[in-house]
Amino acid sequence: MNFSREHDLNITRRQLFGRGALGLGTATMAQLLGSEALAQTPDSPDGLHHPAKAKRVIYLFMSGGPSQHDMWDHKPRMREMAGKDLPEHIRDGQRITGMTAGQKTLPLCPSKYEFTKQDNNDQGVWVSELLPHTAKVAKDLCVVHSTFTEAINHDPAVTYIQTGSQIPGRPSFGSWLSYGLGRMNEDLPGYVVMHAKTNFGEQSLFNRLWGPGFLPSEHQGVLLRSQGDPVLYLNNPKGVTRTDRRTQLDALAALNETQHDQFGDPEILARIKQHEMAYRMQTSVPELMDLSDEKESTFTLYGEEARKAGTFAACCLNARRLAERGVRNIQIFHRGWDAHGNLPREHESQCKDIDQACAALITDLKQRNMLEDTLVVWGGEFGRTAYCQGKFSEKNYGRDHHPRCFTTWMAGGGIKPGITYGRTDDYGYNIVQADGTPIFPQPTKDHWTPGSVHIHDLNATILHLLGIDHRKLTYRYQGRDFRLTDIHGHVIKELLL
Amino acid sequence: MTSTFFRILVSISAFPIGILHAEEPVDFAREVLPILSNKCFSCHGPDTKKAKDLRLDSYAAAIKDRKGILAIDPDDLEESELLFRIHDQDDPMPPEDEGKPLTEPEREILSRWIKEGGKYASHWAFVPPRKEKSAPKSAAIDSYIGIAHKAHTPPVTPAPRADLSTLARRAALVLTGLPPEPEVLEKFLADKSPDAYEKFVETLLDSPHYGEHQARYWLDAIRYGDTHGLHLDNRRGIFPFRDWVVRAFNDNLPLDDFITWQLAGDLLPNSTITQKIATGFVRMNPTTSEGGAIAAEFQAKNNFDRTETFGTVMLGMTLTCARCHTHKYDPIIHDEYYSLLAFFNSTAESPLDGNKYDHGPAMKAPANPAEWELLDAFEKKQEGATDPQKSFTSTTLIASELPKPRVTRVLQRGEYHSPFGDPLQPDVPAVMGTFPDDAPRNRLGLAQWLTSPDHPLVARVLVNRMWQRVFGYGLVRTPEDFGLQGEQPTHPELLDWLAVDLKENNWDLKRMLRLMVMSRTFQQSSKRRPDLEDPENRLFARGPGFRLDAEVIRDIALWSSGLLNGTMGGEGVKPYQPAGLWKALMHPASNTKDYVQDKGSRLYQRSLYVYWKRTSPHPMMTLFDAPNRESSCVKRSRTSTALQSLALLNETQRIEMARKLAERIITSAKDDQQRLDILYKLLACRPAREKERTVCLKLLEGMEASYSSRAEDAKALLSTGDAPVNESLNQIELASWTQVVITVLASDIALSLF
Repeated sequence: MNFSREHDLNITRRQLFGRGALGLGTATMAQLLGSEALAQTPDSPDGLHHPAKAKRVIYLFMSGGPSQHDMWDHKPRMREMAGKDLPEHIRDGQRITGMTAGQKTLPLCPSKYEFTKQDNNDQGVWVSELLPHTAKVAKDLCVVHSTFTEAINHDPAVTYIQTGSQIPGRPSFGSWLSYGLGRMNEDLPGYVVMHAKTNFGEQSLFNRLWGPGFLPSEHQGVLLRSQGDPVLYLNNPKGVTRTDRRTQLDALAALNETQHDQFGDPEILARIKQHEMAYRMQTSVPELMDLSDEKESTFTLYGEEARKAGTFAACCLNARRLAERGVRNIQIFHRGWDAHGNLPREHESQCKDIDQACAALITDLKQRNMLEDTLVVWGGEFGRTAYCQGKFSEKNYGRDHHPRCFTTWMAGGGIKPGITYGRTDDYGYNIVQADGTPIFPQPTKDHWTPGSVHIHDLNATILHLLGIDHRKLTYRYQGRDFRLTDIHGHVIKELLL
Repeated sequence: MTSTFFRILVSISAFPIGILHAEEPVDFAREVLPILSNKCFSCHGPDTKKAKDLRLDSYAAAIKDRKGILAIDPDDLEESELLFRIHDQDDPMPPEDEGKPLTEPEREILSRWIKEGGKYASHWAFVPPRKEKSAPKSAAIDSYIGIAHKAHTPPVTPAPRADLSTLARRAALVLTGLPPEPEVLEKFLADKSPDAYEKFVETLLDSPHYGEHQARYWLDAIRYGDTHGLHLDNRRGIFPFRDWVVRAFNDNLPLDDFITWQLAGDLLPNSTITQKIATGFVRMNPTTSEGGAIAAEFQAKNNFDRTETFGTVMLGMTLTCARCHTHKYDPIIHDEYYSLLAFFNSTAESPLDGNKYDHGPAMKAPANPAEWELLDAFEKKQEGATDPQKSFTSTTLIASELPKPRVTRVLQRGEYHSPFGDPLQPDVPAVMGTFPDDAPRNRLGLAQWLTSPDHPLVARVLVNRMWQRVFGYGLVRTPEDFGLQGEQPTHPELLDWLAVDLKENNWDLKRMLRLMVMSRTFQQSSKRRPDLEDPENRLFARGPGFRLDAEVIRDIALWSSGLLNGTMGGEGVKPYQPAGLWKALMHPASNTKDYVQDKGSRLYQRSLYVYWKRTSPHPMMTLFDAPNRESSCVKRSRTSTALQSLALLNETQRIEMARKLAERIITSAKDDQQRLDILYKLLACRPAREKERTVCLKLLEGMEASYSSRAEDAKALLSTGDAPVNESLNQIELASWTQVVITVLASDIALSLF
């Protein structure tokens, strides 16, 4: 009997640096994992389930539910119906939140913003005036109008799209990637999360959105912060120099080696390595954050805001710098999209935060030949209603949460550029077929309906681009082989190059 | 090496130790059932949809004649269809596209099983535990571990005993989460009587730190937090419950009462204030009051959470699958999930918490030890004691039952708006035994069922987690899953013996922990054994050794530095935390958006009492693998990361604790070697070893040389943390010693059990 194999199976994940369950070095992994991991056995020479189009992902998460009506989903006929009640057959039994459930009418609310049709590589895409810069990179975007979810409130909905379950407890999207892909740069964390500043923070985020759930906790996202130490506890205490630290670490290694000689615990050696990595991070992170090596043109591209730590623009620039350094898994959370009341004022500010930077990120990656293997994802947890929350006015309005359709875009990393996917009805309320034929009942997560993209489908597609079969990236917990997409998910082939 | 080779090893080592004798008949429950469950049941198991489809989860179903085809043919075993299909190269079972093919050893086991008759038996965990007739009369743990050692090929001998000081440290950390007090250690080491260790263990069990440490595991399991957990994640009144748990462990409340009070204290006849406080358990699920949240949706979600946590904590079973459909692996049908849920569906609180601290039902409860004393006096009917409840200064959430129970129906696919079928009466899954005839169909009845003598799971699940705390790994390595997909116990007879023994002895936790730490098995040296390939210690042929938990790592440093504030209980404390962590996440309306750091002695209370904000727990906890307490955790991971290194060496409190510890040793002895020995005695229970001495004194010398020309730096280092600096000491010397202590506190002797 040989217990060491079983142990290897457990420690390999933890100790082989830069190695995930898949990805680099997984030939070894696959062998070690044996039969139980057949589901994870790579079929591709690079150690993944299939060749990856994207080596890394930058996920721009707009927390709160950006309004597809005012940004991406152009509904000219709504102008004629302004103020009229949402027809019952369009609502089609959709449950609505406690915030508008008591409203006597659901007055239809056209966007006050002008839309222009931008050329892309297909039929063109309508973009609102709120996004003048993003409009210019339309040829790189794959705009999905038919993303949908079941959740109608923030906490469950954000938890759902980021963990695959509305109830807390599952690993986050990013942790799954960390577990699956490992890391390429040993001097930086493999999974980095940033929180961008906003003028409208009426939104909560939760550690669980980048938390490991039941995966080993080394897969939790590492916050790259704009306040204090960029990585928690990165800097030496006052009065301790780098030379002091070196001396200290050498002593620490010697002490740990004594203990290892005495007890033979291999974890001690792993810890010695981690201390060395931490020491390297103390230079690699400040170097990452030091923008002095950026040319002026960078700030022309991203805007002057990119010089201010913590802005969305600065986060996007950091994302590019992280990507350049081999960090594969980057998420930026931007709050403030929950426009129940003063949508115009709030969304104008929000769009100003993100518009130029989104476009800059794509242009920048493209200039550096990185867009082809970097997947950029933009979107929120749900959309907003076609009707107005509260009293309707053409100039100022608010919109409630809407799960049935919302707009998400992706770019690079094997995504078909310059297309739109999915169509909604004239109210921007329901997903319809490509030719405009209504679909009743609406698509569900259980059976993929062409033209629709459930959030599990979105996640399945993202994983696919990274070389991962979403059905095979599993982790056994409580007797079940869990996965990000639960028992659902369909890779939307139409979106792939 | 081929992957097949690994496969064999992996599957073999999943079996219990000592039963691998090829000449013995295949053991269905231990060898066959896990294969059927993992490879066959997702299509041919309890959740099989159509009556005509083959099921392999019972003998009756397997021998059923299906148009002349029998999966198992009892009259002609060799002709069993199952045999053909698992060997069919062209159309194998399981089908290739299921991605879970049988391995060769698995095929072999199934074939042998069928040829030997294809008989079924119950999954081990559903059969009530029994002590074997041949059970050892004394030292059962060592006997059973020894039997497995002898049965092993080649036979194994136990490791030598750990030296006494190592053993003392180990026992103290396991029982109290702190090293032994120096005078207690000295007394033990000087005591040459045969029961010296036993007396030492008694001292530990009597320490108030015992309850604090044991409580922490329970709080992980039941997902204790000081906030509601969802959306605004506002404060909630619940810490008196946490303090009750500590007191219950220190008082050694029998575990059957411990469970009953928590599940149903409010339903006990003439229930006491304490028993009601204990029902905070029922209220522990995360809650929300997000604008727009639909009450019925959260009534369902709260119940899912409670039912599933109940499954993990009490039954060691995952029930989540059965929320949407009949369980794929374990024999739990869809209806049964909702019958179990029905026990929780009639509690009186609103499903939406109103973002309120005292989201009722709530009651006034003791906020500090003095108030607890008053309550104790009253409940023990001490003379002159009056009902002190009005004087209590905190509030705690409790459970109470609606006068008229809510109707529970099955929810189709687990969707709150799709109930169907007849109203269900509260009931328990049939496979786990029957509900007692005379028990009420409410939470109290549920507790009576759990604690009834024949319950197959509860005692096993509890002793397994105790074993895990003491030995680092459970006898069942999947403490969260005793179902068909979980691991088999490495020592099934021992697990059963312990479970029965617990019940036979009035569910006495201290007694059980005493048995474990008194065992020879526990007292072995933990040195890794090159003669054995057993890195996870499945043979228990060495003593426990593992990295300590986040709380213990912090507490060791607090304690050794002399900073530890022994106050037990109270509102969660807020030690140093980097600014802005909560603000960056929180809604402006949240009352936990600002982290207001405590001052003075509250910075130094034990880590058990650190404020637990569920959406953003303290980073010194989560960096060292603490769960977020939004969902149940019965086994923490133990990782090594670079971020931990940064935290150990740079975090404010680590520096402060090191400085105070440096002051302590400087003022305790004049000589640097003696000082170092004091440091090592505190942390490792022994003087520094030669090499440690060399390394530390060299570091000290180097730092002194350096800081003597950098007085400002020395001063800056010493200014970290609020605790006042001992200005009477040479500041260069103190800073240099602080650096040495930071280093030693970051080394293995301050982080690990060994």
